[in-house]
Amino acid sequence: MRHLLDRRVVFFGGKGGVGKTTCSAAFALAASRTGRRVLLVSTDPAHSTSDIFERQIGPAECELRPGLWGQEIDEEREARRYLDEAKGRLSGLFNPNVLREAARQIELAGSMPGVTDVALFERMATIVLSRLDEFDLVVFDSAPTGHALRLLRMPELMASWVRALALRRHEALDAAAQMAQAPASPDDPVLRALEARAERLGRFQAALTRPGESAFVLVLVPERLPIEESARAVHRLEEIGVPLGGVVVNRVLPEAASDAFLRARKAQERVYLDEIERRLSAAPRILVPQLPRDVCGLDSLEEIGRYLLDGPVR
Amino acid sequence: MSWRDLAGRGRDILHGMALTGYRRQLRAEAIDLQDLFLLLCYMETLGLPNPATLYLLDVYPYFLQEFHLWHRRMGMDRSPLAGFGCC
Repeated sequence: MRHLLDRRVVFFGGKGGVGKTTCSAAFALAASRTGRRVLLVSTDPAHSTSDIFERQIGPAECELRPGLWGQEIDEEREARRYLDEAKGRLSGLFNPNVLREAARQIELAGSMPGVTDVALFERMATIVLSRLDEFDLVVFDSAPTGHALRLLRMPELMASWVRALALRRHEALDAAAQMAQAPASPDDPVLRALEARAERLGRFQAALTRPGESAFVLVLVPERLPIEESARAVHRLEEIGVPLGGVVVNRVLPEAASDAFLRARKAQERVYLDEIERRLSAAPRILVPQLPRDVCGLDSLEEIGRYLLDGPVR
Repeated sequence: MSWRDLAGRGRDILHGMALTGYRRQLRAEAIDLQDLFLLLCYMETLGLPNPATLYLLDVYPYFLQEFHLWHRRMGMDRSPLAGFGCC
């Protein structure tokens, strides 16, 4: 996966428990060893990144070692912050009566189920659009596949809505101006806000889909259900337009097994590895072996990192 | 008054009649477009999913006034939506 080192944004995704956090941390660490400035962002509510690096990371960027920064985004906290920011942008623009009503509406909207997704999405957009001046590479340790793909589809979905709204607003303003026989005012605050949002969404989407700049790495283990989910994810990624950068096959058993039980497992695994080769042929497949011990701390992460960058590719 | 003046007056009257109808149409169209825009923004309150609702939280206060005019125009003295008190 050396070719991914020169991308600017790399997402790691996969079914729960296949080793996304380990692989993204190992990749980020390996990238930082090549002299790049790397930010590792965890959006997984489980926040195992702190556990892997054996230190508390938290919501602010913190330096884990020279060249590597970590950050754990908490969706509840982001939702709160998103609502507060929305309220903050209004103060000074309206009279107190309208403000009180608007704050009430925002709180009401904030109790809707989608608000954590929107807040998380906004945060990712801010990181991708503003932190790449500071970092060479941003690695996202995503939530499980379905959720991650939904977030990545959001810019496209929202942009088409916001653009349609802007268009309608434009028509309504034009018609009102025609009636008043006056030129349409160019600074309608609603239209301005809509156009600014559409522009931001467009830039985020472009950053996610530009070939050579972004990549999604699918992590799986050689078992039935992760293979099915990964195969679906490949199609979804194609639809969304985010380039598939690689497929990491994690926890592959060693070839030389003395024990009968392990030999039987290995025989079954070969069938799955063949299936992976056949069905997930859209990107290079990197095999990472099952290690004798748990992955914890920098040494074992570096070992995984070496496999990710230079390990066997099937 | 000469014939010429009279003809001028007649032309003005016809012109005004045509224009009134035209203006009424324009006005109706302008209002329809405005309502369509409001509907698109407030779909969520009618139970229709709108992915952008949560993304445009800080745009909504601008609509309070327009929303108020709308429900008055529709013959409702008070806001018809629970949790939406523009008046």
